[in-house]
Amino acid sequence: MDARRNKAKGPQPREVKDKQMEGRDLESVIERAQGHDTQALGEIHRRYFRRVFGLCRHMLDSRESAEDATSEVFLKLQRSIESYDGSIPFPRWLLRVAGNQCIDVLRRRRRGRQVIVEVEYGAAVVEATSSEPSPLGSVIRMEERAQLQAAIACLPENFRLPLVLRYYSELSYDEIGQQLGLERNHVAALIFRAKLELRRKLAHRSK
Amino acid sequence: MECYSEQTCALLVDGELTVDEAQHLRDHLVTCQRCRELVDALRAENRVLSESLRELPEEAASPAAFSRLRWSWVWGDLAFVAAVLALGWIVSVWIDELKIPDALKWFNPFSLSGLTNLMFNLSYYLAQGGTAMLTEYAAVVGGFFLLLLLGGSALLLGRRGRLRQAGPRLLIVMLTLSLPSVAMERRHGEFVTVPASETVDDTLLATGNTVRVEGVVNGDLLVFGRTVEVRGTVKGDLVSFAKRTVVSGSVEGHIYNFSQSLDLDGQLGHSIYGWTQSLHVDNRGHVGDGIVVGAGDFILEGEVKRSVTIFTSNADVSGSIGRDLTMAGGSLTLTTTARLGGNLSARVRHLKDVHIADGATIEGKRDIQVRVRKSQFRRAGFYFRQAVWLASAMLVGWLSLVLFPGFVQASTQAVGSGWRSLGLGVGVLAGVPVAIVVAAITLVGIPLSFMLFAAYLAAIYLAKIWVGAFLGRILLRPTGATKHDWLLGLLLGLLILTIVGFIPYVGGLVRLGMVCLGLGAFAWQLYQASRPAITA
Repeated sequence: MDARRNKAKGPQPREVKDKQMEGRDLESVIERAQGHDTQALGEIHRRYFRRVFGLCRHMLDSRESAEDATSEVFLKLQRSIESYDGSIPFPRWLLRVAGNQCIDVLRRRRRGRQVIVEVEYGAAVVEATSSEPSPLGSVIRMEERAQLQAAIACLPENFRLPLVLRYYSELSYDEIGQQLGLERNHVAALIFRAKLELRRKLAHRSK
Repeated sequence: MECYSEQTCALLVDGELTVDEAQHLRDHLVTCQRCRELVDALRAENRVLSESLRELPEEAASPAAFSRLRWSWVWGDLAFVAAVLALGWIVSVWIDELKIPDALKWFNPFSLSGLTNLMFNLSYYLAQGGTAMLTEYAAVVGGFFLLLLLGGSALLLGRRGRLRQAGPRLLIVMLTLSLPSVAMERRHGEFVTVPASETVDDTLLATGNTVRVEGVVNGDLLVFGRTVEVRGTVKGDLVSFAKRTVVSGSVEGHIYNFSQSLDLDGQLGHSIYGWTQSLHVDNRGHVGDGIVVGAGDFILEGEVKRSVTIFTSNADVSGSIGRDLTMAGGSLTLTTTARLGGNLSARVRHLKDVHIADGATIEGKRDIQVRVRKSQFRRAGFYFRQAVWLASAMLVGWLSLVLFPGFVQASTQAVGSGWRSLGLGVGVLAGVPVAIVVAAITLVGIPLSFMLFAAYLAAIYLAKIWVGAFLGRILLRPTGATKHDWLLGLLLGLLILTIVGFIPYVGGLVRLGMVCLGLGAFAWQLYQASRPAITA
């Protein structure tokens, strides 16, 4: 019984084939979308909705604003997709657009001010002292993972945003710096400090 | 060779070192086990982070569920509101079933009289004792809101994700809790009159310079005017906002009076509730139930079937009261013709302010207390009350944090804006009462002003929570922003505010400042929350 279930879970030849098909026809879908084909736009929405929503959910404080931002990203996509030139993978490009949208939302809430304003120059170099908890292990139990998610959600914005842009959108420090209007060094420091903060929180909780 | 810093290793793992730097570090890794382990650990950490971020903390939305979700919210809201309504209704029926003694009826928060009483008591106390009294009343309302919060929290806990926009939601709930709209006839003009030959079958809302009822109103009568005269019959209640109200006919329900002066020459089926400069029950006047009034001057020449409870600076009783007379305030005079079926209890400042003529009849006990200000700090009850006060504030704080985490944190933060919050708070503190009065005068009317008033008191109550939490945060400087930190900060902040609040002279100012700051922060955050997040 178990063996059968395991077998059923494994990648089926047809699924693999479908994936390849998807990869190939993504280009044509994008091309059609650039020509204002609503069906193609719908297809992009179907494929990337979850990822875009996930990013917005991590960057914004509530599910509602995340959903609003997601809708906005796909709404604006009708126009913005024309500017996509294929130089970077489409999902990455789309996540960059979504990240910008979220930052716009946050900036608007602050009446146009910088999302991350706290520029501490000393922050550019952060040394982990020996008393700091060590990096989070790769073997992490389910409940710990839930704790980690909660801890990320609780991080202050200046830590959370760079962290999410780096490890969810997989942007480089330079790209993150561009989006947030920060120096590259500052981005590095914020990401590093975000991790320290998370380690500290989890160490504190598991005690 | 010396080892690299953890941050440099992290840069390597993130692929952010230049080619040269990365090569140097890699060379080092070959020889250094410690750094190799660190880099491996950092890689593993990145993987964990990526994976955790990929999994959404809550159930992921799907495109198909998207529009459906929005609709389900609407239904959810409706269901929620219906549930709260049902709950309120059950409780109110239950409270009615309990047959509360008349004297306590005003305390029933689910009845109109409960609300009106709260309002006039507050206003009276305000005039007498200033803002210190305000906090006491805010505490009463706090208790009421605590009930509401407790009742709603069971329903809400499962839905906390979508309750970030606290302000509008709260308004919806309060809107539905406000008085049910009834069929209503409206009349407006310089001189509004219901002639003797006319019968109005609905509730009548009349606004005008002079409003005169000579005929019959089968529903309630709500009037706003300079002079209101009821010469005919009102079968329901009379709610009057006027400079002068004269009832020489009959009102079969209650009178809720907010006029400057009320004269009752006629028959009243039930009670008078109100707040007025002068209340005069003429010797032809008859009150079927009791009187609960805050009044500058109170003159009773006629008859009251049951008890009279008055907060007044000057009471003159020469008529009869079926049961007890309870008064607090300035002076009390009972003339020779006065008759009291029950007890007399009076709280005055000086014994000489109470004049009871020899001929006056008092069937029950006399209890006259002179309010001597004893130091409150010597009484155990004082500390107990403060403890209860603190505990309830903590509970309210905790509940708010559970229900509206984002809003609460943001409000706490908004206190930090200092002058903006303070200025806004002063504006709100002074402006909202004006808005309440204006809302009560316009046609949209009374429910709105009651709602506003309740929200106002609730906001005053909540003010100390934001300020306390903010103060605590400044002092504790917690590294994280967990609930635990916030609550600990709140406890510390409230303790400090409470203690400082009892310093003579300064304490009052601190309290006032606290209320203004908190109100301002709250108002600002409500404004922020109500603004649409995306306006593109």
